[in-house]
Amino acid sequence: MRQALLLSLAASLVIPRVAAVAAEPARPEQVQSDISAREISIQSNFNGIEIVLFGSIDFGRAPSPDEGPYDVIMVISGPSQPVVVRRKERVAGLWVNGAAKTFSSVPGFYAVLSSRPFRAVASEATLKTLGLGFASIDFGKSDQSGPEADGFRSAMIRLRQEHGLFQESDDAVSFIGRSLFRGSVDLPVNTPIGRYATQVYLFRDGKLLSHSQSSLQVHKVGFERVVYLLAFRHPFIYGVLAVLMAVTSGLAAWAVFRKE
Amino acid sequence: MLQVYLPVAEISVNLLVMLGLGAAVGFLSGMFGVGGGFLLTPLLMFSGIPPAIAVATGANQIVASSVSGALVQWRRGNIDFRMGLVLTVGGVVGALAGVRLVGLLSKAGQADLFISLSYVNFLGVIGSLMLIESLRAIARARAGKPATPRKPGQHSWLHGLPFKMRFHRSRLYISAIPPLILGVIVGLLAAILGAGGGFIIVPAMIYLLRMPTHVVIGTSLFQIIFVTAIVTLLYATMNHSLDAVLAFILVIGGVIGGQFGAHAGQRLKGEQLRLLLAVIVLAVALRLLIGLVLRPADLFSLAPVMVGA
Repeated sequence: MRQALLLSLAASLVIPRVAAVAAEPARPEQVQSDISAREISIQSNFNGIEIVLFGSIDFGRAPSPDEGPYDVIMVISGPSQPVVVRRKERVAGLWVNGAAKTFSSVPGFYAVLSSRPFRAVASEATLKTLGLGFASIDFGKSDQSGPEADGFRSAMIRLRQEHGLFQESDDAVSFIGRSLFRGSVDLPVNTPIGRYATQVYLFRDGKLLSHSQSSLQVHKVGFERVVYLLAFRHPFIYGVLAVLMAVTSGLAAWAVFRKE
Repeated sequence: MLQVYLPVAEISVNLLVMLGLGAAVGFLSGMFGVGGGFLLTPLLMFSGIPPAIAVATGANQIVASSVSGALVQWRRGNIDFRMGLVLTVGGVVGALAGVRLVGLLSKAGQADLFISLSYVNFLGVIGSLMLIESLRAIARARAGKPATPRKPGQHSWLHGLPFKMRFHRSRLYISAIPPLILGVIVGLLAAILGAGGGFIIVPAMIYLLRMPTHVVIGTSLFQIIFVTAIVTLLYATMNHSLDAVLAFILVIGGVIGGQFGAHAGQRLKGEQLRLLLAVIVLAVALRLLIGLVLRPADLFSLAPVMVGA
């Protein structure tokens, strides 16, 4: 983290001078970014974690005062997997899962933050192309479409939001001075494990100027990792161990509490 | 405070709440001499554990409680091992079918409903029967009449079936078919409900197989060990829905609660105990039924699509 900051500081000191020497044509602004943690470990006391995305803008030239402000949009997305959305229907007085819709590729985690409301940053078409914001996420091919399907799509987004797995916040990226910015995201306790991609987009006047990406890895460690790997890679051994655990506990309880 | 992350359920639960839950069910099971699985699984579901995980984990917990229970009975010579083995053979078949069924229903999104409905039905019927029986027993005791003793060794159509086997400890010479079928039913129930099925097999052994009462509890506990162990193993390998960390917490709670429950149970009369248990069983069934009948707060639900399996 410190290295990255130093690097970006050094870069912002050096590059304007080079640009000044070269004079023309003006090099466009560059954005650089990093994450407060490249690796997140889930262990037994894991109860969610806050990560900070930060970055800086390298000005290719001195910005003229009549130009609009810089805008930043950050996206963090976790590993995708197919998800089925089901809707309950009333059957014979009972609420039963009825119609369902499967989305082939839903990110397990998705957070999008911006320095100003999305609409003010860029046009809808731009947001759509870049996949920025809930309305623009591509969930892969799905087995039906139409207004019915839109209901399932929005229900999925809402449910994921309720679990803290989908987050969308305007004004969550703040500038520190002119070139440094930061935004923070809470990864909830049920955040999926795997590789997360982070994207940082720099806009001005609705135009994408620069883009930077990095990634972080969320994984289980220690005992949780052993249990998880056993359960999913060696389920038979896992099952046998679970049974043995229970048998041993039962034996121990009997031995300790027997009255003889 | 004391949150514990469950690696397979992928949720964080309060350690004390889960220990308490294990202890409460252990207390009841110690008090009433029942396995307690049929209460544990619904209680886990009420506290936010997904039903599929509640069932598999409940089965794992019962392995522990039935091992210690069976050991006590074994020391008293109350296990008919031969009968237990026949029941277990049937139980394995039933468990395989049950786990497969729940797996298929899971894919279709109907497992939760199926598990809840099965519970409502079984707990409703058993609870009502127990309620009626215990109320009658209490009325009889008030009237001062002695309880009518069971007539042993009656012959029924069951004795006409082939493949007769001699069960020494039970002093029975009957066909192996009824216990095998009984075993299949119990295995099926164990897989669907995550319970040992003691509340089905004990009356069936007494009234259908006409086994002497003293060997019934021990023999049922003995076969429950194997049936729930197999259910645990099957869920772990076929559905990946076993959370061993949760099971361990519940086992510890159950062991502690069971000791206190056994003492508490000795202070109450048999029919009062049964009445109390009937009320608890009916309350759980009612709570599950309400969950199915009331319009859910959210009509939509999400589930990951299982790859392979």
